[in-house]
Amino acid sequence: MNVIRRWMATREARKLWRNKSALLAIVVIGMYLLTALFVMAGGISRDTCDTVVGSNKLPGFFQQDTPEKRYENATTKFLTKIKRALAADDVGGALKEVNLGPYLAADQTPAQLQEIVDQVETLAAELNESPNLDNDPSMLPKLAELESVETQLKAPLSPWDQFIFNTSICLGTDSQGRSIFFRGIYSIKIAIQIGLVTALFSVALGAFLGAAAGYFGGWVDHVVVWIYTTFSSIPNLVLLVVLAYAFTNSAAKDTLLPVYIAFGATFWIGTCRVIRGETLKLKEMEYVHAAQTAGFGPLHILLRYIIPNTAHLMLINFSLLLIAAIKSEVILSYLGFGVKNQPSWGIMIRDAGNNGDVVGGFFWEIGFATVLMFGLVLAFNILSDALQDAFDPKHV
Amino acid sequence: MWAFIIRKLVYNIPVYLAIVMLLMILLRQRDPVAGMLGKNATKQDYINKRAELELDKPFLAQYGKLIWSIVTLDFSQDVWTEPGVTVGEKLRKAVPRSLALTVPALVITTVISIFIAMLSAFNRGRWIDKLLVFFAVLGMSVSFLVYIIFGQYFGAYKLQQWVGTPVFSIHGYEPGIMNWAFYMLLPVLISVIVSMGYDTRFYRAVMVEETQADYITTARAKGAPQSKVMFVHMLRNAMIPIVTRVMITLPFLVTGSILLEEFFGIPGMGYVLLSAIRNNDFPVVEGFTAVFAGLFILSIIATDILYAVFDPRVRLQ
Repeated sequence: MNVIRRWMATREARKLWRNKSALLAIVVIGMYLLTALFVMAGGISRDTCDTVVGSNKLPGFFQQDTPEKRYENATTKFLTKIKRALAADDVGGALKEVNLGPYLAADQTPAQLQEIVDQVETLAAELNESPNLDNDPSMLPKLAELESVETQLKAPLSPWDQFIFNTSICLGTDSQGRSIFFRGIYSIKIAIQIGLVTALFSVALGAFLGAAAGYFGGWVDHVVVWIYTTFSSIPNLVLLVVLAYAFTNSAAKDTLLPVYIAFGATFWIGTCRVIRGETLKLKEMEYVHAAQTAGFGPLHILLRYIIPNTAHLMLINFSLLLIAAIKSEVILSYLGFGVKNQPSWGIMIRDAGNNGDVVGGFFWEIGFATVLMFGLVLAFNILSDALQDAFDPKHV
Repeated sequence: MWAFIIRKLVYNIPVYLAIVMLLMILLRQRDPVAGMLGKNATKQDYINKRAELELDKPFLAQYGKLIWSIVTLDFSQDVWTEPGVTVGEKLRKAVPRSLALTVPALVITTVISIFIAMLSAFNRGRWIDKLLVFFAVLGMSVSFLVYIIFGQYFGAYKLQQWVGTPVFSIHGYEPGIMNWAFYMLLPVLISVIVSMGYDTRFYRAVMVEETQADYITTARAKGAPQSKVMFVHMLRNAMIPIVTRVMITLPFLVTGSILLEEFFGIPGMGYVLLSAIRNNDFPVVEGFTAVFAGLFILSIIATDILYAVFDPRVRLQ
């Protein structure tokens, strides 16, 4: 606590504190972090994201589908399942197994259900005479009647289930009928997870290697510079793709491990360069000379005198790397080399692009993914700027 | 200076060797042969194919062969996925297409960003500066993918519906200068918009540093007009960071933009590379990276030399 209190009193911290937009950015980032924690604690599971909750490409804000699609939904999905169950040998057992998203079969006798099915089919046959319901407003009342009759087949939802269902379709569904809202929120966890892990790892590795190279000089310096020149001479995206690709046959292919390794291997370079330069400057400082004269070992000097004095650079780099990781994850996932088998903003954008959402004017999926990502990246951009202003004002 | 160049080149030989080795090791984590032969191949087919692709040789032999072909600039190895086409031909065809996209984009972005940056730096702290910085940060926060998808949707697809005839190509490519605007202008514009945020902020920081320098005060005190201070005094002194930044991006011109080429169906380097990685076409990936890494190292050395040219205080050592 004391350390934090002392830090809060420094000039830099006060400068940061006065920056209103930076404070707002911190609040926004905090909200994203809380959401990520909520998802991580099991608030939204991977199954929830993969569950079909409604017809595909349902628009958000509880708008209705086009009449043609409403007709199709009412006459196929749930109805087919009920009809199949009614035709089964063990009608009672089959009815218990009917489910569509949160909906179960209504608690009625098979005869009553059969009656409703017949009603639906009569109405459907009448509606079927219209060549295209989308251009036929006179049929709309009949369509509404069809839907209300069809609803009787479904058991009423409990208020909680109804709330969850409403939440899941509040921003519409994707091309497979899955909830855009849940998928987008779940992706926050993926983005934060990838960002934090890779940024922490890269900053730690970069700072350690950079400080060692700068302080010891000689062959240590040569080796570190040699390693990072090698890594930076391969185009970043090529290295990311090839690294991520190298794992496609391994056991870890469905985890985030390939992404971590690909980012970790490429992102430490920038930090390493900066910290090395700073260390070259710091090691000529009088307090470092004093420590050397006092007989402290090189490791002690590095950890106690040099690395703490590069902390501000590490903080700035951490923030910048988080942005880079989140943005690169989206691109890598889009290309099919990143996150697999779970939602991420890149996957959502890819789905929206590949399934003709955008061409068809359906912007809900790509829009929500973009807005969420935009908020997070913008907040981090503002925070990095404020950090840079406060701690490293001379930086170009 | 020659001593400097030669020493730098020699110093970078181990770097280059390591790049090629790293890439080969990473690529060989996968088995390309099984995918090429399909399901019905026999064990013998598999062994024959491996021998044909020379994958059965020891790693160091393969490594030596690749290094030798790079040293002798011999890119005549056949591409695996298209029989009869050499790596050299493939790269030679793809590079100009990538350059037709990346060079105009770099030139336009650099010129416009420098102007905006100067405007911003000269009005530092006023509303126009704040507005420009705000837009730059805003622009940087949107994913590249979103720019491309919406650029393609509104710039090509919707525009075509409004105007009636295709203005820009949605997907596809034909060579030739006459076709350039139709196929390339939209990707170039998208690329400019995307890089503008980063470049403007970088150049603004450079310019802000310069506006605080003493020589600007002197020039103003002498009564030099604003335009002269901006374009003669300041721009010249800001040249060093500008040149460095442009030099560093030069090798990336050759690699093209993987995403833009993928979306607009331009068969440039990025496109070729991505499909080569997807199809396990090792010779293409290796040739591509070998060329790029060479250019990258050369451009770093060239940057150091240009430093000395622009700033007489810098000594090459």
